[in-house]
Amino acid sequence: MSISLALFSPPTQPLPLFSSSPSKPHLTVKPHLSLRPSKFLTTTKASAENGAGTSPSAATALEIQPDQKVAETPRQVVQKGESSVGANGSAGAVEIEEDNVLSQFMDPKWVGGTWDLSQFQKDGKTDWDAVIDAEARRRKWLEGNPETSSNDAPIVFDTSIIPWWAWIKRFHLPEAELLNGRAAMIGFFMAYLVDSLTGVGLVDQMGNFFCKTLLFIAVVGVLLIRKNEDLENLKKLLDETTFYDKQWQATWQDEKPGSSKN
Amino acid sequence: MATASSTLAVFFPTKTKTTITRPHSHSHSHPLTIKASSNSTNPPLQGRKLRAAVIGGGPAGSSAAEALASGGIETFLFERNPPTTAKPCGGAIPLCMLEEFNIPSHLIDRHVTRMRIFSPSNLSVDFGKTLRPNEFIAMLRREALDSFLRSRAESLGAKLVSGLVTNLQLPESSTSPYVVHYTSDNFRHSLPVDVVVGADGANSRVARSIHAGTYACAIAFQERIKLPDHKMEYYNDLAEMYVGNDVSPDFYAWVFPKCDHVAVGTGTVCAKQNIKLFQKGIRERVKHKISGGKVIKVEAHPIPEHPRPIRVRGRVALVGDAAGYVTKCSGEGIYFAAKSGRMCGEAIVKASEGGDRMVNEDDLKREYLRVWDRKYVTTFRFLDLLQRVFYGSNAAREALVELCDDEYVQRMTFESYLYKKLADGDRLQDVKMVWNTIGSLIKCNMVGSK
Repeated sequence: MSISLALFSPPTQPLPLFSSSPSKPHLTVKPHLSLRPSKFLTTTKASAENGAGTSPSAATALEIQPDQKVAETPRQVVQKGESSVGANGSAGAVEIEEDNVLSQFMDPKWVGGTWDLSQFQKDGKTDWDAVIDAEARRRKWLEGNPETSSNDAPIVFDTSIIPWWAWIKRFHLPEAELLNGRAAMIGFFMAYLVDSLTGVGLVDQMGNFFCKTLLFIAVVGVLLIRKNEDLENLKKLLDETTFYDKQWQATWQDEKPGSSKN
Repeated sequence: MATASSTLAVFFPTKTKTTITRPHSHSHSHPLTIKASSNSTNPPLQGRKLRAAVIGGGPAGSSAAEALASGGIETFLFERNPPTTAKPCGGAIPLCMLEEFNIPSHLIDRHVTRMRIFSPSNLSVDFGKTLRPNEFIAMLRREALDSFLRSRAESLGAKLVSGLVTNLQLPESSTSPYVVHYTSDNFRHSLPVDVVVGADGANSRVARSIHAGTYACAIAFQERIKLPDHKMEYYNDLAEMYVGNDVSPDFYAWVFPKCDHVAVGTGTVCAKQNIKLFQKGIRERVKHKISGGKVIKVEAHPIPEHPRPIRVRGRVALVGDAAGYVTKCSGEGIYFAAKSGRMCGEAIVKASEGGDRMVNEDDLKREYLRVWDRKYVTTFRFLDLLQRVFYGSNAAREALVELCDDEYVQRMTFESYLYKKLADGDRLQDVKMVWNTIGSLIKCNMVGSK
């Protein structure tokens, strides 16, 4: 509780917090805390940004904030009053006070804890792409502004209402095209190279075991290594998978005939 | 496991040298049956029973002391805290522990039959639809459980010593004793013993004395909050779990009901310096449900993340938290502590043939470590996999909560948790579950990374 009291009293609050970029991962919570006095304004901002079609982020909220600073100060004062009462009243038992400000995701299409599909109609059919985009935007907003869970307004949206073909059309097909393209380019080039070096034609190459292995490696490589970082990630993944096992086996490692101290 | 079977083969030839091996029967509850095959190469003790010291009187230590004392070994159980000290702990134990350790029902404060898990976007799933009427998660106070187990060990013959063990002196030869130096009533004492069981928790002094190595620890931080009655009603038999980067980067936050208050807490391994921030995060997430409550206690405790590099050295064995037997993903440790304590005690009884012979390191490794590893390493490995897959990012956590909506998943989870046995499921449903897992992970990663 003392931490939140310290954060609510402006004179002691380090000013850099207001200008810190929320894109740094481990600071995402801090900007949220510094924006709390203006949460009332953030809710309207979120809906305005949704209308503009850009993803709402704390950064844009910060820009609008200086204009409305005058309006927030009475709110801040109210909170200071609350927190000082708390500080005086506590003597071992700290009361949890309900703050007046709420952080909530507001959007005209977000109704009752889920997306209202009737508002996503395009040509008489539901525009699933827009639903996926809206949900992605909501989750990104929540990353920086975690919501309070509430029994009266539970969230009921989960991704299973989006049909499988919408996912495939949107994500699988473009990626599949990319990967197939890469595989085809590699395949053509390697087939030409092997032919020019050994004189073995494409059909005869397919009958050779070594060539089939090369083909397998090429396909697996194209599937697994899609970005430059994937090489490192794969190595790390391999290490991680065996790490826990190594920790369990560690106690059996120093089994040497004369080493046991009796 | 190939190494396990090959070393077992080494030991079998010695067994065939004996003429008669009396057929022995296994019983999984008290009292112990002692297997009477005298094929040990250890020297018999002249005129006295084997003497064992169990350092630490929690679930692990008390179970070890109980097994040792009922096996006929002279046991000393060391505990530094008075019986009323509350150990910071979740306090949840599975059903199988109630049966295996004969825990009386008056110790149980609450029967939790519903669990709710909240994703980072507050999508909530109710666990517990598949529980049968007699199945529940027992919540109890650690001080009540610990003192019960300790007094039971005492009643079976273990000598309880209230004191702080300061040092464990290692022996010079294979027959000289370990000397336990401890302070009791402001006086220094020392006690020579043959075998030591280290059950003194995450900051084990015994482990340090035998240079067992260190392990990575998570920190669990919780506040006990007394709620007004109408808010407490909501948590009558419900426990809540929250996942998300705001409450923990690599673990979960919880609201567990206790006897007359709730424990709201969180834990983390990699970001320990931000624990207060995460605590604020969980308080934010449950704001409405705990508003008007009073914080009556704040506590924190380290939780080991993996086993220590050395768990048995010489005639010293580590059990429970000292050995690092805490599962990942759920952070469960009480049952494994008690079970490992009992297993270690039984191993010593068996290897010493009821306290008549000395034991050595190989006996401890063979009878305790190997049996333990064979029984539980798969469980621990599986939970480690779950933690790595599902606790890594917000997208993965959303996928986890989505998956939990499935009845089959819930049934499997609860059965494995309550009975510590791999629940036998339907192959077809298993395949469907794996398919859904992959699908959910892909979908949530796509939605989360845009």
